[in-house]
Order: sequence, then structure tokens, then C-alpha cells
Amino acid sequence: MTREVTSSRSIRTRFFRTIVVLFALIILSGAAFFIYIQAEQTKLAQEREILQHKTDTINQLAGTLSDVFFRARGYVALKNDNELKLLDTALTNLDSILDRYARLNLSTEEAVFRKELQNFYIDYKTNILPKAIRLVEADDYAALRTAAQEGSTQSVNEFLAYTKTYKLRADTALNEMAKHSIRLANEYTLFSFLFGSVVLLFFTWLIWRIIRNLINPIEELQGAVHSLAAGEEILLGQLRNQDEIGRLYDAFLDMARSIQDKEEELMMQNEELQAQQDELQEQQTRLQRSLAEIESMMKALDQSSAVAILTQKGVFSYANENLSAYTGYSHSEIIGFTYRLFEFQNVSSEQIFGKLSTGGVWSNEIRMAHKDGSAVWIQATIMPYLNDEGVIYQYILIANDITSMKSVQQELADTLKHTEQTKVMLELNNQLNHDITYTLDKQEFADKFIHFMNRLYAFDASFFLLVKDNIVTAKGIPQATVDRYLENGNNEMLYRLQSERSYTVKRPAAQSEQGISPEPVFSYDFYTTVVNAKNEILAVFCGSRIGHDFSKEEVNEVEGMMNRVALAIERLFMYEEIEHGRKLNQDIVNNVNEGIQFVDTAGTMLHINKALSQMFNYGEWTDGSMTSRDHWLNHFIQVINETEEIRAFYQQAMSPLSSDSSSMKYSIQTELLKHVDVYAIPVFRREMRIGTLFVHRDITREYELDLMKSELVSTVSHELRTPLSSVLGFTELLLSKTMKPEKQLRYLETIHKEAKRLTELINDFLDLQRMESGKQQYITEHANLSEIVMGVIDQYKLSSTHHVLLVDEARNAEVEVDKDKIIQVMTNLLSNAIKFSPDSNEVKVHLFNEPGQIVLQIQDSGLGIPKEQIGQLFQKFRRIDNSASKRIGGTGLGLAICKEIIAKQKGTIGIDSVEGEGTTVWFSLPTRNGDPGRQEEDTLKWNTDKEVKPNVMIVEDDYSLSLLLSEELKGKGFRVTHHYHPQKAFDQALKTPFVAIVVDLMLGEELDGWDLISMLKEDSRTESIPIVISSALDKSNKILMQHNVRKYLTKPYPPGELSTTLHDIVKVSQASGEVLFPESC
Amino acid sequence: MHKVLVVDDEEILRMLIVDTLEDLEGVELRTAENGRDALDLLAAERFDLVILDYMMPLMTGIEVLGELGDELKQKTAILMLTAKAQEADRNKALAAGARFFMAKPFSPMELMHVVEGILSDSGSNL
Repeated sequence: MTREVTSSRSIRTRFFRTIVVLFALIILSGAAFFIYIQAEQTKLAQEREILQHKTDTINQLAGTLSDVFFRARGYVALKNDNELKLLDTALTNLDSILDRYARLNLSTEEAVFRKELQNFYIDYKTNILPKAIRLVEADDYAALRTAAQEGSTQSVNEFLAYTKTYKLRADTALNEMAKHSIRLANEYTLFSFLFGSVVLLFFTWLIWRIIRNLINPIEELQGAVHSLAAGEEILLGQLRNQDEIGRLYDAFLDMARSIQDKEEELMMQNEELQAQQDELQEQQTRLQRSLAEIESMMKALDQSSAVAILTQKGVFSYANENLSAYTGYSHSEIIGFTYRLFEFQNVSSEQIFGKLSTGGVWSNEIRMAHKDGSAVWIQATIMPYLNDEGVIYQYILIANDITSMKSVQQELADTLKHTEQTKVMLELNNQLNHDITYTLDKQEFADKFIHFMNRLYAFDASFFLLVKDNIVTAKGIPQATVDRYLENGNNEMLYRLQSERSYTVKRPAAQSEQGISPEPVFSYDFYTTVVNAKNEILAVFCGSRIGHDFSKEEVNEVEGMMNRVALAIERLFMYEEIEHGRKLNQDIVNNVNEGIQFVDTAGTMLHINKALSQMFNYGEWTDGSMTSRDHWLNHFIQVINETEEIRAFYQQAMSPLSSDSSSMKYSIQTELLKHVDVYAIPVFRREMRIGTLFVHRDITREYELDLMKSELVSTVSHELRTPLSSVLGFTELLLSKTMKPEKQLRYLETIHKEAKRLTELINDFLDLQRMESGKQQYITEHANLSEIVMGVIDQYKLSSTHHVLLVDEARNAEVEVDKDKIIQVMTNLLSNAIKFSPDSNEVKVHLFNEPGQIVLQIQDSGLGIPKEQIGQLFQKFRRIDNSASKRIGGTGLGLAICKEIIAKQKGTIGIDSVEGEGTTVWFSLPTRNGDPGRQEEDTLKWNTDKEVKPNVMIVEDDYSLSLLLSEELKGKGFRVTHHYHPQKAFDQALKTPFVAIVVDLMLGEELDGWDLISMLKEDSRTESIPIVISSALDKSNKILMQHNVRKYLTKPYPPGELSTTLHDIVKVSQASGEVLFPESC
Repeated sequence: MHKVLVVDDEEILRMLIVDTLEDLEGVELRTAENGRDALDLLAAERFDLVILDYMMPLMTGIEVLGELGDELKQKTAILMLTAKAQEADRNKALAAGARFFMAKPFSPMELMHVVEGILSDSGSNL
């Protein structure tokens, strides 16, 4: 920075300032040094003065003190007042000296000394001295001495000694101070010398620097001037300083540059001139060379090409030999003629000259005629030549004969095209091969084939027929034509094709084929067949082309193709057959009842049929899937109860060592327990084990039948052995013992009874067997169940033990049944009811309708059946296991037979029972739907509540009449109760509120109708019930009037009369709310 | 005096057995028509022989034997009488404690001889 500042100033200024500054610096530092020495010396002088002063003071002090002591002692010794006066003066003197001393700048030691001195002095002045004076005045020298000995004198001496010492010390200090002063003076001298030297040195450096700054650029400038003179380049940097030298530099540089520029300009001009000269020379050589080249080129051209020059008008002015060779025209024939001599076949001369007139070069391949007429291909280049005014004055033609090249090119193109065609055909062929190999559907096959043929041979219409299946694909042929051909021409055509592999028919084109052609067009139909090895025609192909015949190659090709198609079609047939076979097998396998499973040697399940899938609830297998061994086996084992056995069985059967079939039985718990018999067969193909076939047969039914059979055999044998034991036993007793005739008779009766039971048993059993095996014939007919029931009850009329009560509410009792079998059921059930109610005397039979059926209930108040045994009752040989029922006996087959019969009549049977209270056995049968009107139209609306029907009791022992009346009354909406026994009827009347009782007078032997009427009338509970007498007796017997009989009907009477009568009675009672029984009636 | 209990649910058979055995000397016959009654009787009195039917309602012969104490079975001879003549049934009966077995239909004379034999053996035992 400083440098820059200085460098921008002129040298003069710079050096002037430097020297002034330096000079000032020296002056200033000299002055400062001088002042400093001066000050130091003054300080030293002062110090010395102070010390001197102190010493003087001390000396004075010591003197004064000695004076005091001297005067004091003098006074003491002399007792001279003068001496005392002098003492006073000395003391005053001392006071002033002390005072002066105290004001001096004292060191610590001096201060302490002064203090002590002060104290001593004060003490001496105030105490000792006055005391001593007093003592002296009193002349008490003894005391004085004592006092002196006490120390005052000593202190005085000490002080004196100190002062002496101090004085000595002060002298020494003064000496020291003088020495110091001298040393200081020496040091200053040395410093002055050193300072002087440094200033000189600095000055020398300054001067050297100034010189250097001035000399260096001047030297450089000198060098530059030399080099300028020598013409060398001036290597002179721009000086940065703007001083005089700097300006000199710039000026010199400007000058040097301008000189150099001038010089360079001259040089350049010189070089240019030189270069121009060189170029001229070069051009000359080049021109010469070009000339030579052109000459050789011309020669070469003449050798290889035709060269010609045409005038502006197109007239040949020059032509070389080659042109003649190419065109066949001789030189003389060409020169002087226009280009029109040659016929251009592919370009017009206008095209050429059009291009040329713009000044451009025309170049192209020209096809022209040789003189001999053949075509010549020429590669021609025509170039216009312009004169100085830019006008065309001639043309140069250079031409090459490329005919051979062209023909090769043409050939190549042809070959390429051919190859392309071949490729397309190959591709098509390949496609066909692929299609016919992979198409398994015949129709699809035919479609693809037609498509292929059309593409390859460009048929306008085509037709393909698979003879066997009548599968047709037609393109471009109306359906009607196809149908016609299939119907009529087929056989004929096949006949011709049988002998001829293929043939072509040429025919005039049809109207539609003619198209827009004005000429008559012919169509060619090509027929060919596909035959198999046995020369059977598999398919017929027919293709039609308009206006194009078929070449021999095409025919051969198609025929060859047909052989391939034959193979494909046969394969198709084979596939279909196999597929059909496979489907058939699969259907067979799937539809057999046995579960079938095929497992390969690795344990993978390859097939499982439907039956087995269902058996195992195994829905995971689909056709074609492979299930690993663990997968299916685990599933099977889960379902099968005999887990370990089945695992072992499978393992054994699938093991490659086992070659025999094996089987086992197992059970599976699906919804029901199933018993299955499985057998395994190793399957071999060409003596190679390929797997194992498992066949699972559901033997549940056989198993159960087996079980049932053995149970049955055991039961039957037991049932038979018991009566047999009796028969044999008693017979043996009769034979081996002698006994009374009564006993013999009893034995024989027993034997007879047991033998009968045995027979019954066997009959029942055989009956049941027959029914169960379906051998039982049922003869169904229309019947009225009410009628049947009454008929059966009629049989029991004479039974003394039980009374059978019939409540018949059925409005439709028409059924379609085997009457005898139903009678058998009824008889069986009734006898059971009687047998099993030994303590009762009544069995109630109730007949009523339910929607679509009629129900019959037989109710006893007997032993009843334990609840848990009810379900078993319809099984064979089941009887109620209690002693009471055992005593009653029976075959144990009755109910089973009943059930079988009712089931066969499409009915149901059941038992409700409470043990100890009684049993109700019922069965229902479907009713016939005919004649429903009777039930509904006349039904009396007795009450809004339909459930409550008026109860009527008929007491009648004539079964058919009873039935007749019952039918009539039921039809009118009554609930009819039947009785034939007067006593029972009376009991019933007590239990049931009857609106009326119809009584027949001629009843049983013990009691008759009159007895019943009497009983009823005598009892207050029943006396109000209206009674209608139905009797064959004449009503003239007036006795009835006494018995409040409501109505007397003399048999025979129309049934309607009874119902009307009852109707009237009920209407009356309904109206009045009570039963009216007018006496007068 | 030997006491014999006849247990059979069929009245006719009970009659047959009683009639067969009544001629034997020193034999007192009692009957029961089911297992429950038989057990009650056996608990109350001592019998030398029980002729027990195999197939009975309520309790089968085997079940009766099952409820009979071992001591009683030692002292009382049991003759099982049954229509079930299969080997398995016989074994079942013998396993349950019946010492004798006879199939239905049986010969009364044979039964008599068998009973006679049993009673004379048991007599010596006693």
C-alpha cells in the first residue's frame, strides 16, 4: 500500500520526504536522549544533596547532642550557670535540628531512630535533665550518680554511637552514588555510539534502495533499446509506477510498438506476394496434372464407357467406339444424327432435357432398343456444357451398358419373389399341419382346412365334406346348393371319386360367376377325395375357380395334401373313439355303486369315482387332478372308525411287495353308520406295477340284514322252542307216567293248545315273511271303513268279557284297501285291546276324519305300555316285558303284521299309551276323494263352534241297520255312538250328554230295549234325554207313551226320517235351551 | 327233604317241570314266574336246586345269577334251562355261575334224572 502510494509519486518528492523524515527522526531521538541524560543527572544530584543534607543533619544532631551532654556534664561537674545557659542553647538547637530531621524523607530505620531519639530526648529534657539539675542544685551527687547509672548516660552514649555509624553509612552511600553516576555516564556514551551506528546503517540502506529503484528500470530500458535496435522482440513489462521512469517506459513502448507494427505490415505484404506466386505456380502444375488426368480418364472412359458429345440441338458430334458397340449402330450412323436415333423405352427425352435445361446433370438407367431390336439397358449420364454467357452449347453423354447387370437383377428379384411365395406356402402348410394336428373338433378342422385351401389356391367357392359324420364346411356356396348336393349328388359323386382320385370339371360360368366380363367365362370345379388306407372315402373336397384352370402341379400338390389330411382325419376319428371310450369308462366308473379309487405306486391318487367321493364326503378331487397320498389318506382315516387297521391295510396294499389282492371291512361314521368292504387289487401294465385299485363296497344293508337275520333266527328258535317244549314234555309225561284220565285230558288239552300256538306262530311268521319279501298280493277295492269296522265289531258282539263301543264321526269313510287285510288288522288290534285290558270290560273304537284321511282309534283302559317300549312294539317278537302281559301270550308278530299291512295300504299306524291307564292304537288310511258333497251340503249348523256336534247314541244289535243309520246321521252332522248292549248303553248315557238316543227294542237276551228305556227314564240324570224307538214292532203298543218316548219309527223306515226327527228334536232343544219332552206326545 | 325252585315265565312250562318232578321223593317244589320273585324267595329260604329259565322278561337268568351272592351260588346248585342252545349261551351261563345246563325242548325224564343226580350229590355234600 505504502509502496503503491509512493510509486505513484515522482521520485523527487519521494526522496525529499524520506530524507526529511529521517532527519527529523534523528534530531528528535538525539534531543530525547539528551533530555533523558539531563534528567537522570539532576535526579542523582538531588539524591546526593538529600543524603548530604541528612548526613549534615545527623552530624549536627550528633554534635548538638554531644554538646548537650557535654554542657550537662559540664554543669554537673562545674555547677556553672553558664554551662546551664549553654545547655539551654544546645537543647534549643537540638530541638530545631530534630524538628528539621523529622521533616526529612526518612527511611524506616531512620524513622525508628528518630522516634527513639525523640522519646529519649523528651524524657531527657523533661525528666532526667530537670531531675539532674535539681540534684545538682541540691548537690545530691550520690543520687545523680545513681540516676546516671540508671541508664540515661548509657542511652546518650548509644545515641552518639548511632550517629557516628549513621554518618559513616551516609558517607559510604555517597561514595556509591558517585560511582553509579560515573557508570551511568559510561552507559550513555555507549548508547550514543550504538544509536549513531544504527542511524548510519539505515541511511546507507536507504541510499542503496533509492539507487536501485532508479538504476534497474534504466538498465532494463537500455536492454530494450538494444533489442529494439537489434530488431528482436521487446520483452518489456508494463511498469506499474507512474513516476518519471514509468512515463519514459510508456513512451518507449509506444514507440517500439509503432515501429514493430510497421515492420509486421511490411512483412505480411511480402508474404502475401510470395503466397500468390506459389499459388500461381501450383495452379499451373495442377492444371497440367488435370490435363494429364483428363486425358487418361478420357482414355479409360473410352475403354469402359460410351462417350459422346451432342450439340446444343442434340446432334451427335462425337461418339466413341463403345457407343457403337452398345447400340449396334456404327460410328458413321451415329455422327450427325440426333439422339432420336435411339428409342428410349422407359424415359422420355423431354424428361431428360427438362432436367438438363436447368443446367443440372441428368443421370439414370435407360432402356432402349438395340439396332437389332433387342432391349439394351444403359446407365447414362448427360451433362450440359455452358459457354461464357452461361448458355448451353453442347452435351456430354457418358453411358455404360448395364444390360447384363439388369438381367441378373431381374432374375434375383424373380427368385426372391418365388422364395417369398414358397415361404408363404410353407407357412401355410405349416399352419395346416399344426391345425390338423391340434384340432380335435371335426367341424373346426373342416373350417380350418377350407380356410387354408382358399388362401393357398384362391378358390372362388369351396366345399369340404366329412363323409362319415356329414360335417360340411362351404365357402361361397349357397346353403341350398350344399343341401342339394348332400341329398342327391352325393352318391353319384362318390362313385366317380371312388375310381378317380380327383378330377376337374370345366363348365361355362354361371350367371353369378360371369360378373362383368363381356366374354363368356369358364369355371373350373376341382373334386378330390381324402381316402384312408383301406381306400375308403373319408372326405370330399371341391373347389371352384372362375376363369382359372388347375395346373398339374396344383393338382399333385392338393392330392399330396389330401394324404396328410387323411392321416389327420383318421387321427381325429381315433381321438373321438378314445375320448368316447374314456368318457364311457368314466361314466361307468362313476355310476357304479361301488367306490373306486386308483392310486399309483407313489401313493398319489389318480382317480376316485363319484360313489367313493360321496361315501367319504371327499369333494376335493376333480378329473385329472393328482392328490398326494398323505392328503387323501388322512382324510379317509379321519372318517373311518378303524383308523389303525385301515392305515395298515392301505400301506400293505400299496406296498410294491404285495402282488395279491386283499380286502378288509370297515365302518365309517357319516350321517349314518356305514359298513364298507374294501378290496385292493394291484394293477399291472406289461408286467409293471402301475398302481393299486381299491374298490369300496357299501355293505351296510347286507351287514344289517345279516345281523337282523341272525337275531331273527335266534328269536324264532326261542319262540318255537317254548311251545315245542310243552308239546314234547307233556307227551313224554303221558307216555312215561300213568295218571288219572282227567290229568291225561288236561295234558292233551295243553298239548293241543301249545301245538295250535305253534301253528299260529309259524303262520304269522310266514305271513310276515311273505309280506316283507313283497310276495304278498293285495287285492285293493273300494270299501267303506265304517262298514268294515262295524263288521269286525259285530264279531265281538258275542264276546262276553268286553263290550266294544263305536264312536263314528267319519263323514268320509271311503277308502281303497284290501278289505280282508284291514279286517285282519282290526281283528288283531281289537283282540289285543281285549287281551291286554283284562281288568276292564270296554274297548272304545273311534272313527273320524282328518284332512285327506280317515283315522281309526282303538282305545282300551288296560295295562298300558311302558313309554320306552312303545317304539319297539312293531318289531317282530316284541311283547311287553312284564309278567302280566306275558301271561296273556301271543306270537309277538301281530303288530308287525299290522304295520306291514297298513303301510302297504299307504297308511300309518301308531300307539299312544300310558302305563297302567290304557293304550290307544290308531291307524289312518287315505280317503277317496269322491262324493264329497254329501258331507258338506247337509251339515247342520248346529252351533257356531264346529267342534261341538250333537251326540246321538244308537242302541241297535243289527249291524247293517246300525251302519245305515249311522251313515245317515253322520251325514247330517251328528256324532254317533254305537251300542248294542243295553247296560253298556245306559252307562254310556251317564257319561255322555246325548241329544237323543235311538233304541231298538229287540236287543239281547238278558235285557231288551224296553229295559234300557226304563233304566234311562228311571235315572234322574238321563230321564230328560229324548228317545227315538226304532223297531220292527208295531207302535200300537201304547206302553211306550208311558216312557216318554219322543218318536217311534217302525222298521223299515227311510233313514232320512230318523235324521229329520232328530233334527227337529235338536232344533226344539236349541230354541228353548232345554230338552223338551212333551208328555202328550 | 330237598327244596327245588323252578323259575320260568311260561306257566305251562312251570307246570310241566313241577309235574315232572313232583313224583321224586323228598323233594319240595316251589315256583317263581320271574327273576325278581326268585331272588326274593332265594333270600328268604334255602334251596338245594334252582331250575332257571334263561330268557325271561324283566330279568334274564344270567341277570338273576349276577345278583345272586357267591355264597348262595356255592350252596345252591343252578340248572340253567334255555331255548338258546348255542355254545356261546351255554358258556355264558356257566361263566355266570350255573353248574348245569339243559336245552329246550327238554325231555322231562331226562330232567328228572338230572335233578335226581344233582340232589343226591348235593345231599352227600350236605
